[in-house]
Amino acid sequence: MGYREQHEVPDLGVGVGLRRPHVAQVLSGAPGAVDWMEIISENYLAEGGIQRVHLEAVRQKYRVVPHGVSLSIGGADAIDKAYLARLSDLVRRLDAPWFSDHLCWTGIGGIDVHDLLPMPYTERTLAHVVERVKRVQGEVRVPLALENASTYLEFRESEIPEHEFIAEVAERADCGILLDVNNVFVSAYNHGFDANAYIDAIPPDRVLQIHLAGHEDKGSYLLDTHSDHVRADVWDLYRRALRRCGSVSTLIEWDQSIPAWSVLVAEAHKARAVRTSTLATCIPGESAWTTGP
Amino acid sequence: MDDGSLGALQRLVVTAVTRGVPVGDDVGLAADADRLVTPSHRGMSPAARLDVYREQFWLRHVPSLEEDFPTLSWAVGGPSRFRDLAVDYLSTCPPRTWDLQRLGEGLPAHVDARAPWNGDRLASDAARIDWAFMEAFDAADVPPFDPRVLSAAPEDAWPLATIVIHPSVRAMAFAHPVHELRQALKDGSDPRLPAAARTNVVVWRDATCHLRSRAIEADALALLTALAEGAPLGQACDAVARASGAGDASELAPRVSSWFRSWTEDGWVCAVRFPPHY
Repeated sequence: MGYREQHEVPDLGVGVGLRRPHVAQVLSGAPGAVDWMEIISENYLAEGGIQRVHLEAVRQKYRVVPHGVSLSIGGADAIDKAYLARLSDLVRRLDAPWFSDHLCWTGIGGIDVHDLLPMPYTERTLAHVVERVKRVQGEVRVPLALENASTYLEFRESEIPEHEFIAEVAERADCGILLDVNNVFVSAYNHGFDANAYIDAIPPDRVLQIHLAGHEDKGSYLLDTHSDHVRADVWDLYRRALRRCGSVSTLIEWDQSIPAWSVLVAEAHKARAVRTSTLATCIPGESAWTTGP
Repeated sequence: MDDGSLGALQRLVVTAVTRGVPVGDDVGLAADADRLVTPSHRGMSPAARLDVYREQFWLRHVPSLEEDFPTLSWAVGGPSRFRDLAVDYLSTCPPRTWDLQRLGEGLPAHVDARAPWNGDRLASDAARIDWAFMEAFDAADVPPFDPRVLSAAPEDAWPLATIVIHPSVRAMAFAHPVHELRQALKDGSDPRLPAAARTNVVVWRDATCHLRSRAIEADALALLTALAEGAPLGQACDAVARASGAGDASELAPRVSSWFRSWTEDGWVCAVRFPPHY
């Protein structure tokens, strides 16, 4: 039995990240504009206020999954127990089938820079992350999907390719993967690795969710800005990921230059069309879309 | 895994990322970057690669503070001067919480302590009222006040009652009517520099989750503050009566009744607790 089946991870279809400018429209509109919603966990961890009210109302219309940016699973500081307790409470309130955060660290010595900082990929850091993922999943009690972050530097001490590192974390810690196809593309451009080979090396049944987003070309590097439509090359990578992983929940992220709700919904519909047409051409058993490789 | 090499690497990266100037401008830091980070295959130096994260640190946090402190930004002279303040604040007090909502927690104290902003009463007032709105925004929810507890209490129980104030309520004294200044900025008008005038203001989140502010009398502020600190009603009224020269608390009673009615209507009072024997 594969990981998704074992943990009864559903395919939620194609959703979008819920952002503040769209909340009123989502609440006033009929459900079903998209299949599901993802929220930034940290925006909903407070003990009160309008955000909690909105979240409860959105939850009446859509399945909601929390996506965090502050777990700092690769950090050298101890995991913040108070943060984890609030996150666990949020996951319970949402009855979320999984929760996600990034393979990264966000600070040290109590300082939090609110960024997804890259890990050195070594045997020691692998063991460190595995131990922390186990602890976090033990606390939250639903699968963690660990996302590959976009990165802009590599450490000299790294000895394991990123795709092997994240696959190994997932296997040893028995967690899921959030495969951000745009991040694969961005990091492949920045570091010179083969994006297709990366996608092909990810254990398909561990992929609980796929992210799609736009990025910006800064000349000597790509920046993961979530500020535009998904690029053509990224749609191609998405098709490749679908052929390997099968029908996996997919989500459009758009965080800067946030467009009208209708534009975001149209992007989700495009993803749905790509997903439907790609999966229609898959032959179960020939690809690795139902079980691991 | 102990802190060891991972901790050392992460400390160095955070030092680089939180600097106000490019990594390459610091010879020692640039050498550390060379030692730890590979150059990119597209010609970026290790220092330039670290700078991608450093630039994002400032692009993320300075606008976040500006959004949270609109009155302060106006009071110090606009976005450009506010940026100088934000950079000084973040350089001195880098973020120590995952919660971006709390990024500016130390900014009011920073304004009071650091030149050239210290001594500027308007900037101090503006920083405090902006932070009060931030705190009220996501303070804990509590069940609404149940007036039935009042009808059950005998009159002699009232002096011993403790009045529980809603977690979102922030009551403060200012040297300027900064709540009006903040509202004018929110309304998009072009406010004039407010004249100095002692003003007592309560900021709170109402039952519909809207943030509001209102000026109150000095004695009402003193009483509300004492009650919020947990003083029983009788003791709090006595202290306020003494401080205001009203003699005894009975002279204050009609005003207290009026305030209490208004506070419960506005949702500032969320519970009244009487001693167990009542």
